[in-house]
This record gives sequence, structure tokens and C-alpha cells, in this order.
Amino acid sequence: MLRSRREGMPHWPLHVVLVGFTLFTIYPILWVLTIAFSGNQSLAIATLPEAPTVMDRLRAITPWPETWSFSNFVSVMTDQPFAKWMFNSVVVALGTTVLGVFLACTAAYAFSRFKFPGQRTGLMAFLVSQMFPGTLMLIPLYIILVQWLGLGSSRLGLIIVYATTSIPFSVWMLKGYFDTIPKDLEEAALMEGASVGRIFWTIILPLAKPAVAVTALFSFMTAWNEFILAATFMDQEEMYTAPVGLRFFVGGFSQQWGYFAAGSIIVSVPVVFLFLYLQKYLVSGLTAGSVKG
Amino acid sequence: MSASDPQQTGDGREGVADRPLPESEAPPSLHSADPRKGGQAPGAPRHMRVLAGLVLALGLVLALAHGLLSRTVEDLTVQREDRRALVSLHALTDLVERAEGSGDAARAVVSAWQDQMRAGSAVRVIAFSGIKLEASTFPEDVGDKAAPRRLAREEKPIYDRGQRLRTAVETNQEEGGARKAELETELLSNGGRQVSAPVEVDGSVVGMVEMATAPQAPAPKPGLGPLLLWWLVPLAACAGASFVVRKQGLRVVASVVAFAVGLGGYAAYSLRTLEHEVRESQEVVAAQLRTMAERAATVLAEQQLPAEPALRPGHWDADEFRRPLGLVSPAGEVDAAVLAERVEEVASGVRRTFGGLAVLGLAVLLFIGMGGLARTVETVVEHRQAYLYIAPAMVGMLVLVFFPFFYGITLSFTDSNLYNSSQPLSDTWVGLRNYVEILGDFTIAKRGSDGALVFNYLNFYYTLFFTVVWTVTNVAIGVSVGLGLALILNVQGLAMRPVYRVLLILPWAMPNYITALIWKGMFHQQFGVVNHVIRMFGGQGLAWFDSPATSFLTALTTNGWLSFPFMMVVSLGALQSIPAELYEAARVDGASRWQQFTAITLPALKPALVPAVILSVVWTFNMFNIIFLVTDGEPGGSTEILVTQAYKYAFQRYRYGYAAAYSTVIFGILLLYSMVQNRLSRATEAA
Amino acid sequence: MKNLRLMIAAVCLCALGLVSTPARAADSGKELVLWHAYRAEEKASLEKVVARFNAANASKGIKVKTLAVPYDAYADKISATVPRGKGPDIFIFAQDRLGGWIEAGNTVEPIDFYLEDEVRKRFIPSTMEAMTYRGTTYGLPLNYKVVTLIYNKKLVPTPPKSSGELVKVAKKLTDKKAGRFGLAYSYGDFYYHASLMNGFGGGVFGPGTTPTLNSAENVKSVEQVLKWVEKDGILPAEPSSALITSLFNEGKAAMVFSGPWFLGEIAKSVDYGLAPLPTLDEAGGKPMRPWMTVEGVYVSAPSKNKDAAFEVVKYLTSEEAAKMLALEGRQSPANQAVYKDAQVAGDKVLKAFRDQVEVAVPMPNVPEMSMVWSPATSAMNAILKKASTPKAAFDDAQKAVAKDVAGLRKK
Repeated sequence: MLRSRREGMPHWPLHVVLVGFTLFTIYPILWVLTIAFSGNQSLAIATLPEAPTVMDRLRAITPWPETWSFSNFVSVMTDQPFAKWMFNSVVVALGTTVLGVFLACTAAYAFSRFKFPGQRTGLMAFLVSQMFPGTLMLIPLYIILVQWLGLGSSRLGLIIVYATTSIPFSVWMLKGYFDTIPKDLEEAALMEGASVGRIFWTIILPLAKPAVAVTALFSFMTAWNEFILAATFMDQEEMYTAPVGLRFFVGGFSQQWGYFAAGSIIVSVPVVFLFLYLQKYLVSGLTAGSVKG
Repeated sequence: MSASDPQQTGDGREGVADRPLPESEAPPSLHSADPRKGGQAPGAPRHMRVLAGLVLALGLVLALAHGLLSRTVEDLTVQREDRRALVSLHALTDLVERAEGSGDAARAVVSAWQDQMRAGSAVRVIAFSGIKLEASTFPEDVGDKAAPRRLAREEKPIYDRGQRLRTAVETNQEEGGARKAELETELLSNGGRQVSAPVEVDGSVVGMVEMATAPQAPAPKPGLGPLLLWWLVPLAACAGASFVVRKQGLRVVASVVAFAVGLGGYAAYSLRTLEHEVRESQEVVAAQLRTMAERAATVLAEQQLPAEPALRPGHWDADEFRRPLGLVSPAGEVDAAVLAERVEEVASGVRRTFGGLAVLGLAVLLFIGMGGLARTVETVVEHRQAYLYIAPAMVGMLVLVFFPFFYGITLSFTDSNLYNSSQPLSDTWVGLRNYVEILGDFTIAKRGSDGALVFNYLNFYYTLFFTVVWTVTNVAIGVSVGLGLALILNVQGLAMRPVYRVLLILPWAMPNYITALIWKGMFHQQFGVVNHVIRMFGGQGLAWFDSPATSFLTALTTNGWLSFPFMMVVSLGALQSIPAELYEAARVDGASRWQQFTAITLPALKPALVPAVILSVVWTFNMFNIIFLVTDGEPGGSTEILVTQAYKYAFQRYRYGYAAAYSTVIFGILLLYSMVQNRLSRATEAA
Repeated sequence: MKNLRLMIAAVCLCALGLVSTPARAADSGKELVLWHAYRAEEKASLEKVVARFNAANASKGIKVKTLAVPYDAYADKISATVPRGKGPDIFIFAQDRLGGWIEAGNTVEPIDFYLEDEVRKRFIPSTMEAMTYRGTTYGLPLNYKVVTLIYNKKLVPTPPKSSGELVKVAKKLTDKKAGRFGLAYSYGDFYYHASLMNGFGGGVFGPGTTPTLNSAENVKSVEQVLKWVEKDGILPAEPSSALITSLFNEGKAAMVFSGPWFLGEIAKSVDYGLAPLPTLDEAGGKPMRPWMTVEGVYVSAPSKNKDAAFEVVKYLTSEEAAKMLALEGRQSPANQAVYKDAQVAGDKVLKAFRDQVEVAVPMPNVPEMSMVWSPATSAMNAILKKASTPKAAFDDAQKAVAKDVAGLRKK
């Protein structure tokens, strides 16, 4: 079973490596789970009895709560309008995904299929915009979005900001992918009198599904995890997104790590499922774009 | 002028589906888009183009110059009126201070002063103790509102203004500098000006004197005559010339000359106007000073106020920090040398402005005159579909990404900080000073007292070095671990492959804020899991955050943990796209595993890995969260990377301009990197 | 096709979410907005106080609406919104950012004008000092937070009064091998160290906000820590706050220097008491003087209803409100009179903090304070890790802070 029939090389060393790495990977996540299910609020630090035995040490490093309790989850969901915040997050993240992917698709298609002056510069501009550190961006963004555009305290404002921040990566991804799609199909369609728009929607997009899925995932996560802009732009509690709600538990003088961990898990679950659902695209979408020919 | 260009007209429907596939041999119908294309229109329109360029360029520049001139004249007038009012205010304040700032004596001074003031002006004196209106000649302060009385609630701004002046005086004294304005001037709703000054008695600020002046006649607007003159005359000359001259090149030269004449003429006119204004201002202020000195002396005698120390009219004409301007002598004479200096200052300002305008105008003129505009319009129309597709994303980026970006770059040339962030950026302009300070500091390390090398962790080059080390090691680890795991996961027939894959992707999906803190906890010296494991095997625990090397290791582990899944997924995708037949063929040829790897796998991975590496270099270079949450620069700022350092300059040291310069330098480094990278990859592609 | 349907569903959901954006409150009457960063019972009690104010002022048409903002985003949110006139009418924040906002301008309204003497006298004087910047009052103090001595009653029957006693008691209870310590506190954290520093008569700024980090008193204070760590050996290494909590809850730390935030983390099984920090024999019997953080209520400068806003501020800091905040929100009000109330006076925790605050020093509210933290923390680390002598480390820190202060003032 663990032996590859064809080559005769044993698989078990590979499994050892994989299991090792998997443990390394999930260990911190198990701590998050432990804290969430412990019912306590402290960031678990393992302390030891006097003259610790090896077993004691082992217990101290095992991420397993001493008692299981759902109280953290219950408190998170009931003490504040967390469900409402999750809903806001869903709306904002989906809106960002739709808008971001749409804008990125059209731009990337143009960069890939048309030849026009400013093409290289434009593409470069998209990449370059990723390089300016965002430490001083908050106030200019606030001025533009809230003072000039009047989109304070609205989900639309957040969607626009998140979508634009996710565009550069998406454009690069999609352009690479579009480049690999042979042009024969479009030419044939053009001969039959189809418009460029039609070609784009009915031929290119379906073919680029994996890359679109990946950019959608990225846009979604950009919006899903962002906290500081959401907290700054929203002036009503019922308009907060889930990450904003999460940050109530930490920061300032007292930290409620139990709530925070439980909230983090609630917030992560949709993303993890999205990852699982999009897995098959993830692998091909991220790379096929750059593997030319 | 676009209408004068024949290429524009009628270029309509034919091009709707224009060349989506430019390189390919598209159907001929697509190519027949524009039969007129390439046929350059001869003579007349081109000469119109030059003229149109001149009309527009000169018109635009002169309009701007005119606008600036009227603004400056207005500013000068306001300045003059403020100075006049301030001279009067200072004289009065001097008297009020001699009257101890409050009581009947102060009221007597005010009423004596009011008698000699112009109609519509009014004065009030505020005493801080008891929040009182000590004296007032304002028309509303009569009857039961007559001074002295406590200030009413709606008069809070007056009191706050007084407190602001007091704080300013104290702050400037304490810091031994001139940071906060000790005088305030304000435009009233009726068009008059209000000036306020602190009252100092025995070295402490006890009150404030305010004076409202009557509305002034609006500043004289510079006439439109010169504007029209310097616009139309060169235009006519150029038009005439272009009928005579046949060569396009000469026409352009003629238009440039005409432009220069027009702008130069108006510049000379502006200069004269401003110089006159400046000189006249001094005369007016000097006259005011003489009158005020006389009056003050009269009131002083009338009210029998202490005459020692003597009145100092020289200090009355002062700037906002109450430092004498020195333009007018105490005796009320204009100091010619200082005045000449001031005029020269104004003149050089005018020259700079007009220099800038000339560049702008020439650019417009040549752009239109040489056909640049026509070509641009042509390009946009020709490729309108491509631009249409990009426009929505571009607009969003322009507004929300590039605008803040240029704002940041502009900020980097200023000394903007917490104290002056409300001032316009031009007031805090320092040119390249921030950059010089950042890039010109080479004290990376010095010899300590014991001869050991001590690094200066705040130095830019140290931080840059650390950031590069951080980026390189992280990306190297990410790529090697990711690639290694991908190779293993790609083994055919491996059991439980999907399970491993899902579990190994998890770090990517969790919010990194909490996992970073968990990692920090795991490196705790006494109780962290890492040291527990070390001790389990009989070792001694390490104090991880004590030395730069181990502290770096903690951040490296955390970030490695976070970033390898991305590389793994990228590699996995590339590996799966390699056809299995290639390996079969290689095996048949007797290639070893290593040979297969280098000959088939690596080349196939390259196109996938290179962009991924480029992106992750950029991301890691600016990886704020991990450093900030895990090491926070400990020990002593040695594990700070450039972005966290920039953040600290902005939010711990409140030096926004400096932090912006820091950010711009970071941007420059990354830009340079991507350009070099781009060159290299194109070179290798070509090879 | 399936994906198309999914997309349509997503678009519909978004549209639904966007449409259901709650309409902005109509400008009927005077609606005042109050921002704060409280949560849990602190938030609940504040909201209760506000509700009571609203009920009493309904006839005047004044209504206060509260908004909780996560602490991590709160300061940035204020800095971004208030100066642009989009912020609240009233906000609550600790005094540490006060100076910065005043210097930045158009954020905090000075209130001396409104302030009658009887209101001024309501408060513990040092808390009022925290609300004053360059001689002008900018807010009224609501609550304060201060570090005190928290001890495990089972291990320490009577809390030590002086540093000598402290060391004696702690030594007995320390067994390093077993991971037991007589005393645990974040002594490497400059905020906690301040109680020793101030106790020895040191400080961070002299007049005119010139840094005085390398003063002889500061050096002496850190030598005291070194003595406790090395010679007496009563403190654990690398004392992070999570570690201290664990130790105290497991009965492995007998005494802790910490503030009210620590109480919520104490396990139910631990019977604890509070006492003032000990006096310092080494400083001639002077008390340890912790830094105090004061949460002030401020009227925002661009507010359209400053008069009404000030009435709210006055009510929030009144005795009636203070009692609710103290008993239900577990806060320590800055209002003095409330401590005469039987219920409050009978509360050992509130009483202990009230006693401690008598000797506490308000943490500086000047913006230059934010430049102190990093160099001071580095100095503390260098000293504790023996990488540097106290004098040399503080000299370095002094240089760094002086440079930053000069950098800010440069013209």
C-alpha cells in the first residue's frame, strides 16, 4: 500500500516528512482551537509543576483544553451583534469580489489582447502600486472616500476601496492566464461576426475559470480580513464588519483571547470552505497563467 | 483645433470592432477601418495648428498669471491693512499693559484710544482672571452688556482665542523658538479684519486686546488691458508671420518667440505692479507708525500712565511671533536697504512663477503646435476599445491608489509633523532635506568603549541590510519548503494526498493576527513551547528575543510558516502541468532522478515560480504584521524592517514628512528591484 | 451555468445589503454622538448612564447616541474624522493622546470657559491635572486606571508595607526551580517600571518637555529592579503579561503589581486582596508612585452643539453617573464624592485603587511621550540583560529621545 508499484521506492519516508510538516503547520492552529474551546480568556501559556516529568512537559505542550466548553462561542455570538457583522462582511466581501474581478477581468483582457500605446506603462503602474507602503494612506483615503465621495458609513464605500486594492494582483494574474489562451478561437468567432464583448463573455471568461476563481478568492480575502479601514469608515455599530467586531476583544488594557480565538474560528470557517471548494482551481489558476505554451 | 484636424472628422463607426487581435492576420474588413489614415493633411491646417497652440498656450498662461497676480496684490493689500491694524493694536496693547491690563485704567485707555480711531473700528480687552470683558467699544456691548462683565456663553471663542495666544507665548518662551503664532488675524463676516494680541503683565499673559477694523475697500484688481494687450499683439504678429513664412519649423519658432514676448511683457507688467504695491505699503505703514507713536505718547501723558520703559514703536510693526519686521525704523522712516531686499524677494518670486508658467505654456504650445495633441486624440480614438476596457479599473486606481501615492510623495518633501500638519504643505516645504537625512547618514556602526562594534540600529542602511536579509531568507525558505512539499505531494499514488494538501494550506486561511501572537507566545523564554521541547531533550531554553539573531529567527519561523503554502500551491500547479510522458521518455533514455529534475522539472517550474517569487519578494519586503507583532523590533530596534521603521517615524515620532520620505525610498528600492528583475527576465527569455 | 447562477445570487445579495443601508438619522432635535472604546460591563454601564441622561433630557430634545470603536482603530479613527468635522460630538479617550490631538488642532475643545469651580473641585486633583495641557483644561476626567499591589491571600496573609518587608515575604515564597515567585510584574515594561522611577523622584520630562531619562533618580530606580531580580531573586525572567496571569492563577506568584485589567483574568479559585504599593526604604520611605491613566470625556472641536455636549460631559462625570460606572462597570471614577457613598466605600477593590491614586502620577499627556516608549524599553531590556550599565543605557535612551524631540521641533 505504501509502496509505489512502479518504482519500488518506499513511500514511508515521504509520509514521515509530510506528517512532520503537517504537525508543524497545524500546531499553532490547534492552539487557537484550544484557547477557543477552553472557556478561559488567557493566551494559554504552559506552566509546569515542580520537578516536571517528561509526561508533564508533554502535557504542557499538547494543545488540548483541560475542559471543553462552548461558552466562548456562545458569548461571541450573543453578547454583540456578531451575526449582523458577519452578514456585513459577507456583503462587503462578495461585493468586492464581484466588482474587483469584473474590473480586473476587463482590464486584464485589454492588456492581454489589444496592443496600444501605454500598455507596458499601464501594466507596470498596476504592479508598482503594490510597492508603496500603506502606512500613511489612511487619511488621504478617508478624505477621498468620505469627504469627496460621501461614502462614509456605507458598504459601497468599503467595497470600492477593497476592490481597488485587490485589482493590481488580479490584473497581473488574469493577464498571465489570458495570454495562454490561444487566439484562434476568438479569431474564428470574429469571422462569424461576434462582437468583442460577446467573445470576452462567452469564450474567454469560461476558459479562464481557474484564474478567475483564484482572483475571486484573493479579492474575497482582502475584504474579509481587513480591519482598520472598516473601523474608520463605519460610523454605526450595526455597519461594522466581522474583523472589526473581532478586534473588540483585544487591544487596550484587557485582552479576551478566548473570545478572540473563538471569533477567529467563526470568521475563518467560511474562508477555509472557500479554499476547499476552490482547491482544484487554486492549483491550476495560480500557475497555468505563467506556464506559457 | 481638433476640429481643424481632418483626421478626426468622420472617423466613426468603421472602427467599432477595431483590431482586438493586432498581431494576427485578422479579416481584411477589420483593416479597412480608416482609408484616410496616414494621409497627412497639408499646409493650412498645420499652420492653423501652430496658431491655435499659441492662442491656447498664451491664453492659458496669461490667465493663470493674471489670477496669481490679482491674488498676490490682494494678499499684499490684506497684509498691509493687517500691519496697519497691528501697529495700532500693539500701541494700544502697550498702553493697556501699562494700565495693568484691567480695571478703570484700562477702560480709560481704551476709550481715549477709541476717540481717535476710524469709524467702524472697535476694541475690546479681555482679562483671563474671571473670564471678563474688561473694556469694549463694540457697538453691541452697551447697556446691560457693557463692560466690565463676565463673557457670555456664545463668546467662548473669544476667550479660547485669548487662551490660545497665552499658550503660544508660553510655549515659544519655553522652547526658546517661534513655533506658535502669538498674534491672530481673522477676516470678519462684514469684510473687516480682526486682530488679537496678548497682554503681558509682569512676564505672564493675563489678557488679550482685540481690534476690529472697518471693512476695507476691496483690493484694486489688476486691469484686463495689459492682459489683452500681451495676448493679442503677439498673436497678431505670429499670425502675420505665419502667412509670410512657409516652413512649418519656422512657424513654430515664430510662435515660440511670440509666446516669449507675450509672457515676458506681462511679467514685466506684473513686476512693476507688485513693486509699486510693496513700496507703497511701506509708506503707508510708516505713516501709520508715526501717527500711532504720537497718539500713544498723548494718551500716555493724558492718562498718567508710567512712562518707563519708553514706548518702542520699532516693535509695533512685527510678524506673527511679535518679532519686529525691521522694514520701518522706530522713527517711522522706511529702511531703504531692507525695502530693497524685500522688493528683490518679491521679484525673485515673480521670476520663479513666470519661469514655471513659461515651461507649462511652452509644453502646451509645442504639444499642440507640433501635432502632439492631434496624435494623442488619434491614438485614443483608434484604440478606444482597449482604453474603454481598462478605464474603469484605471479610474479606481487613479482615485484611490495613485492619488494617495502622489500625496505621500509630496509629503516627503515637507517637514510636515504633528505640530504643523494643519498648515498648507508649501509652508513646510524642505525640498530634499528628509532624503538627505535618511540616505546621507552613514554611521552604521561605531566602536564601543570596549572596542566592540556597536550597530546603530536606527540607521537606514542597517535597516535596509536587515530587510534584505529578511526578504532573501524568507523567500528562499518559502520556495524551498514549498517546492519540496510540492514535489512530495506530486508523487503518484501517494496515500492521503488531499488530506495533506488541505492541512498544509491552512495557515493561509487563518487571520495572521492571531497566529502571529500564538507564535510569539511559543517562543517565550520560560514557558514557551519551543523551550519546553528543547528542555525535554535536555537542553537549556533560549531567551529568544534577547539577541538580534534569535529574535530574527522567531520572525523568520513565523513568516515561513505563513508563506510556504503559497509557494507550495504554485509549485504543485506547475508540477501537475508537466506531462508524465516526459519523465517516461527520460527514464527510457536512462536519465537519473537528478537529471530528470534538472532537465525537466526545473525548467517547467521556472515560468510559474519566477512571478511568484517577484510577488513574494514585494510582499515580504513590506511584511508589516509579522515584525510588528512578533519581534516589534526587539532587541533595541535591531529587527526592524523598513516599513515598520517608517510606521514608527510617523506614529511614534510624529514626523509625517520624514516617514513619507522613508516610504518613498522603500518604494524606490522596490521599483529598482522590479526594473532589474524585468530586464533580467527579458534577457533570459531572449537568450 | 451553475457559476452564473451563483454569481447572480451573489449580486442580488450584495444589492440587498447595499439597499438595506440604514437611513442616516434625521437631524431632528439635538442628537449628540458619543464615541468610546469600552466593551462588556464597562460598555453596558456607560450605555445605562447615557440612557438615564436621555430620559432626563428628552423634553429638551437632547439625545445622546453611543458608538463603540475597537481600541486598536480608535485613535486613528479620531485623528482621521474629527478634524474634518465628521466625528462625534463627545468622545472618551485616555489622556496619553491628548497633547497630540491638541497640537494637531481642531480636535479637542478647550473647556475652561464652561468650567465652574465647583465642577473642577469634583475630581481627584491629579486626574484633573491629566486633562490639562499647557495650562488649559480640555476635558473632564471620567475614570482612572492605576497599578497597585495584588496578592494571593492564601500565601500572603498581610501585604507588605515597605520594600524591605516585600523582599522578606517574597524571598520566603520564591522557589525558582519549582517556578514559584514571591513577586511578579512586567518590570521590563517601562509603564510598570514607572512606579519605581517616580517613587525615587525620577521622571521622563523636565520643564519645557526636555527629556530627563538619564537622571540619577531613574538610574537608581532601575538599580532597585536589578537588585530584586539578581540579588533577591524574587522575580521571574521575561515577565510577559500572559505569564504573570498564569503564575498568579496557579498560585505560583504570590504578589503582582498590576491594574484593574488584571482582576478580570484572575481565576475564580484564587482569593486575592489589594493593597497600596509598598514604600521604598531605599528612597527614604517614600511611596512607589505608579503612572495613572485617566480616561477623559472631551467635547470635539468641530461639534455643532458644544453647549449641550458639555452638559453631557458634566453629567457623565457627575456623582450619580460615577456610582453606576463604579458599581456596574467596575471602573474607578475620578469623581471624589462617589467614594463617600456607602456601597462604593464598602467595595474593597474600588477603595484600594482610590488609596493608590493618592500617590499616583498622571502619565504625561504631551505628544513627545510617544517618543519615549521605544528607547526606554530598549534601555530597560539592555540593562536587564546585562548588555549595558543602567547609566549608559539611559544615556543612550536620553540621546535618542532628545534627538526625536529636536526632530519634531526643527524649523
